Amino acid sequence: MSLERTEMTWRGQCPVCAALIVPPAGVEETELLPCPECQTMLVVDGRQGNRMVLSEAPQIEEDWGE
Amino acid sequence: MTRLAIFHSTVRAEEKLLLEAARKRRVRVKLADIRTEILDPNAYTVDFDVALERSVSTVKGDYAVAFLESLGMPVVNSSAVARNCGDKFLTSILLHRAGVRQPKFALVFTVGQALQTIERFGGFPIVLKPPLGSWGRLLAKVNDRDSLEALLEHKDVLGTPPQKAFYLQEFVAKPGRDIRAFVVGGETICAIYRESPHWITNTARGGIARNCPLTEELHSACSRAAAAVGGGLLAIDLFETPDGLSVNEVNHTMEFRNSEAPTGVSISGAIVDYCLRAAKGRT
Repeated sequence: MSLERTEMTWRGQCPVCAALIVPPAGVEETELLPCPECQTMLVVDGRQGNRMVLSEAPQIEEDWGE
Repeated sequence: MTRLAIFHSTVRAEEKLLLEAARKRRVRVKLADIRTEILDPNAYTVDFDVALERSVSTVKGDYAVAFLESLGMPVVNSSAVARNCGDKFLTSILLHRAGVRQPKFALVFTVGQALQTIERFGGFPIVLKPPLGSWGRLLAKVNDRDSLEALLEHKDVLGTPPQKAFYLQEFVAKPGRDIRAFVVGGETICAIYRESPHWITNTARGGIARNCPLTEELHSACSRAAAAVGGGLLAIDLFETPDGLSVNEVNHTMEFRNSEAPTGVSISGAIVDYCLRAAKGRT
């Protein structure tokens, strides 16, 4: 889902429930953000020009951790 | 100006803290998503002085570290430390060789071997862990033979090959908490108690972090454990026992988001400072 930039506010749309999402300041690519409405964990995939792409975060895999 | 590359997958709270610490120190930081890197020695461009490996995926992180080291790049933590800490059994035998106090342990492959070992350990309960794994996942406190047989059969039939090696650890009755110590270059910089009514105290599983005062005993245990696995940036988990502190596990890509506040220590700052020393060959 694409993000529109309005002045200094970046917005995205949850790919699951279509809720409008305003990422916090300083958000980085690959950072995880919960959808405030459906609670799906989303990931910031990247930027396409002035657009930020959000998608569902990957599931935890067997080798994840510290 | 030293150029620090942070190799990551998902940017977590820890990576954000590291970025902030690096920026405060005016360190030039490159964020490199391991998942998008092509590790081809004939085509790879090195535009940094030191690499910090922070991938959530152990497999991807291990390959990236080995690759960067092959190019002559200082990497934190090294592949040797990653290898020594990534496998619980390997960690345990290194700690044993160094004379570091830890719970009794063994690696077995059958129910019969497990029962023999458990008898020698003094009986049930016993802790069954996957040699590879994190975040307190797939740990089992096994209270009797019936449970043991069921668990091992499930692992044997359903598990991946690494899960068919059964790491057994003596069950330690904890006082409702354990200790996680953060060790940088052999020095324990801070520690937390992880309190939980559950026997698994990982904060990822709901354990509450509180500051743990640093004692001579803690310094000594951590220093020796760190030396045993090769040093670097480590999160060492310890039990308090009647015989003294006992090292449970050593982690090499520490998570610390819940630990800077209760300890008042900038773990992220200490990590960045260590990387800067590594860039100059001073670790």
